[in-house]
Amino acid sequence: MRVYSASLAVLLAAAASLHAQKPDFSGIYEWPQAVDGEHGKGSATIFDRKYFAPLKPGGEKFIEPPTGDARHDEPRDFCMPAGFPGGMLSANAVRLVQNGSYLVIYHEFQNVTRMVPLDGRPHRQGLEPMYYGDPVGHWEGKTLVIETTNFKRWSLDDYFYTDPKESRMHSDAMRAIERISRKDAATLSYDLTIDDPKIFTRPWTQKFEMKAKPEWEQMGIFEYVCEENNRCPGGKCSK
Amino acid sequence: MNAATHRIADWEHGIHYATPEPLYGGGRENPPRHSALRAGKQCYDAPKVFRNMRPIRIASLLLAAAIPAVAHHSFAAEFDDKNPVQVTGVVTKVEWQNPHIWFYVDVTDSAGNKTNWAFSGGAPGQLMRRGILRDSIRPGMKIRVEGFRAKDGSNNASGGRVTFEDGRKVFTASAEDKLPGSEGGKK
Repeated sequence: MRVYSASLAVLLAAAASLHAQKPDFSGIYEWPQAVDGEHGKGSATIFDRKYFAPLKPGGEKFIEPPTGDARHDEPRDFCMPAGFPGGMLSANAVRLVQNGSYLVIYHEFQNVTRMVPLDGRPHRQGLEPMYYGDPVGHWEGKTLVIETTNFKRWSLDDYFYTDPKESRMHSDAMRAIERISRKDAATLSYDLTIDDPKIFTRPWTQKFEMKAKPEWEQMGIFEYVCEENNRCPGGKCSK
Repeated sequence: MNAATHRIADWEHGIHYATPEPLYGGGRENPPRHSALRAGKQCYDAPKVFRNMRPIRIASLLLAAAIPAVAHHSFAAEFDDKNPVQVTGVVTKVEWQNPHIWFYVDVTDSAGNKTNWAFSGGAPGQLMRRGILRDSIRPGMKIRVEGFRAKDGSNNASGGRVTFEDGRKVFTASAEDKLPGSEGGKK
């Protein structure tokens, strides 16, 4: 009996130690910035087309030309959500809060909160497609892997700012995989894989980094209520 | 007619400056009129959480290309890049709100007629992380603002660059905003 108790204690200690070895990403960071390649003309990050997998037949709708209707061409101008992954790459502060059950990703742009369960639960079923999808996370060693599904068709990134002649739109079949690990004390590696079988022939990945900004800790994250004073949506000013 | 009204008159006649010059010919050589604006010192009695932030510096101009800013909207969706605006006037109001700050400037032409212009800047959080705080631009200040007029032709514009009386320039714009005279820098 004493032997079993001792073994159990050892196992519990080992499990606790294993949990303790998981990195804690809590802190304030800059938004994910591309390690190399094409950069948007705005400071938000965009995907570099050199990483794209070939388009499937029919995938041409990935590139969407403007229609002249500002609500369609640039919905954020009307305070519509940036969506994922575009919102995640937007040029604002990000706070990560982590415990054993959740990683909370709080992005200052549009005050978006992503609650990522880490307890092994499956994706929720029967939900309407969402701008930020349904994320679940798990650990692979010291790398946190977040799989997100159930998206609306929406903008992939901020490419419209770089070339207002086209937006890059993911489909509702997109599956996104984020792999977050600690590169060094001040940097997180953030690899983002896009698996969109309606558009691309295979998944593809681009590498980003998030710089820790402890000097922002004191001022913290700010409120961002887009509707508060959005005076000129579509170029029509309210006063 | 003083220098400021000269510039207003020029602007009223559609003349725009590609390269901004210091107001009053002073630039960095002239000491700032307001102690709150002296580079390298605390701007004003800021809230405690901001006291370790650096005030606006002339270096802001040099760092402009690297300044991060919010991308709430597409510049092209709201402003006309064929219609640059440059005014000099007195700040009447500042709206330190999302998604973009707005500040209002009374512009007096050579006949004494006042026009109130509104200029859009970046998001408050983004500006504060650049060191531009909520009362860096205050009512009563005389400033020059450069930007582009709203597509609807109203007296609203992007307000990409602000020049203070002492010649210091700061970028209040969102990163995607086009800046007059800086082709190749921003869109």
